[in-house]
Amino acid sequence: MREPTGAPPPGANPYIPVPFRVSGRRRETADTVTLRLRSPSGDGLPFEPGQFMMLYVFGVGEVPVSASGAPRRAGILEHTVRAVGPVTRRLVALRRGDWVGVRGPFGRGWPLALAEGFDVLIVAGGLGLAPLRSALLQILAQRDRYRQVTVLYGARSPADLLYRLDLSRWQQRPDLELRVTVDRADERWRGQIGVVPALIAQVERHFEPARTVALVCGPEVMMRFTVRELQKRGVPDDLIYLSLERNMKCALGLCGHCQFGPAFICKDGPVMPFSRLAPFSEIREL
Amino acid sequence: MSGHTPAEILASHPFTADLSEEDRAQLARLARLAVYDPDDYLLREGQPATAFYLIVEGLVSIELFIPGHGPRPLQTVEGGSAVGWSWMLAPSRWEFDARALERTTAVVLDGERLRDLFIEDCCLGLRVVHRLLFVVAERLKAARLQLLDLYGPPREL
Ligand SMILES: Cc1cc2nc3c(=O)[nH]c(=O)nc-3n(C[C@H](O)[C@H](O)[C@H](O)COP(=O)(O)OP(=O)(O)OC[C@H]3O[C@@H](n4cnc5c(N)ncnc54)[C@H](O)[C@@H]3O)c2cc1C
Ligand code: FES
Repeated sequence: MREPTGAPPPGANPYIPVPFRVSGRRRETADTVTLRLRSPSGDGLPFEPGQFMMLYVFGVGEVPVSASGAPRRAGILEHTVRAVGPVTRRLVALRRGDWVGVRGPFGRGWPLALAEGFDVLIVAGGLGLAPLRSALLQILAQRDRYRQVTVLYGARSPADLLYRLDLSRWQQRPDLELRVTVDRADERWRGQIGVVPALIAQVERHFEPARTVALVCGPEVMMRFTVRELQKRGVPDDLIYLSLERNMKCALGLCGHCQFGPAFICKDGPVMPFSRLAPFSEIREL
Repeated sequence: MSGHTPAEILASHPFTADLSEEDRAQLARLARLAVYDPDDYLLREGQPATAFYLIVEGLVSIELFIPGHGPRPLQTVEGGSAVGWSWMLAPSRWEFDARALERTTAVVLDGERLRDLFIEDCCLGLRVVHRLLFVVAERLKAARLQLLDLYGPPREL
């Protein structure tokens, strides 16, 4: 079992973005797209699932965005972006052939090496599926290294479900247990309605708590309730990993913008075990 | 599952599995097995609440009919859980509809006889009501989280 390490940003100057070209764009929902970015030189920025890049829209600004694609694809990055403000709106509006600046990768990713030989329980809420998709793609590419793999995914409504093609492919796989739920739906939806922490009770027989690594990403309230459900069943705090979001500036552990307790989320996170977060969790934010 | 008797199912259903064999035998006497096809209603708003449903397999939608719009699903209940507590609060009527989304099997317990049984055997009554309270609390917690609209745009939170 070994902890993942935060890879240092490559390149001579981590402050200078590398130009990437938009080579593909898939609309996921009304406000979210997945961008495929290609490095003209063919050199990628190799990342670990769970790490993030700083995406820079020229003349507008720079924001942290998780890698959502398969790692280890030379020169290709995928990022799923939801338009919530000035920079993300511009990212979502990018077209094929447009340029975007990329710095990274930053931070520590999901503990996929640690999870080898364990059951893996992935719990994603909303856009939280983006960094977990990257983890799942890697797990599925090396499926025999893991025991039972279960994915629980909650979205706001059927129209807000990301990665529909992936979801239907994953649904078919006999070596993956996938449950999807939405908070609200009309009568045409034939699936589950309810919140994602409630799905944990349904899949109890698919994981052995003491030998389970849980990977959780979503809104903080959803993560809080998910942690409680996992703890109730005996998943140890040091095997529950959460991905946290904080506003960021330098992404290099220098400016203090992303501080959480004694940790800097950009460097020590965004993925952290709950055992490290628990002492600070009564600060009303995870 | 549909080949099993209610007593056999109660022995493995999460709601009743940890009751004593004797308790389960008492419940099994009030129980029948029912199978619902997709879109069959288990119970309908306004009708007398006469039964308690332990869902064995399948998926059930708890919903409200909105005139001019049709059914509005609110939550779903899957195999291993329970549907309906209005029978406890006699004289009562169902407050919502419950519709099978998939082929669904349920153990259906007679509400009136359950209430009589609980008066006769208060300890069994307490054990069942305690479990029911757990289901109600989980469903209330889920409904509260749904109300928060956690995945909505940040500005709406
Ligand atoms: C490690 C990390 C990974 C991220 N991964 C992704 C991703 O994969 N896809 C994606 O679309 N976004 C992701 N984000 C969030 C993204 O960085 C923000 O949405 C973005 O910075 C908003 O910038 P803006 O200029 O568009 O809007 P701003 O004007 O900066 O913000 C618009 C609104 O969004 C809210 N907001 C800003 N940042 C966040 C945040 N981090 N979390 C929640 N609300 C926020 C603001 O409070 C405001 O209400 C990630 C953030 C972090 C820290
Ligand atoms: S963003 Fe500057 S320290 Fe983390």
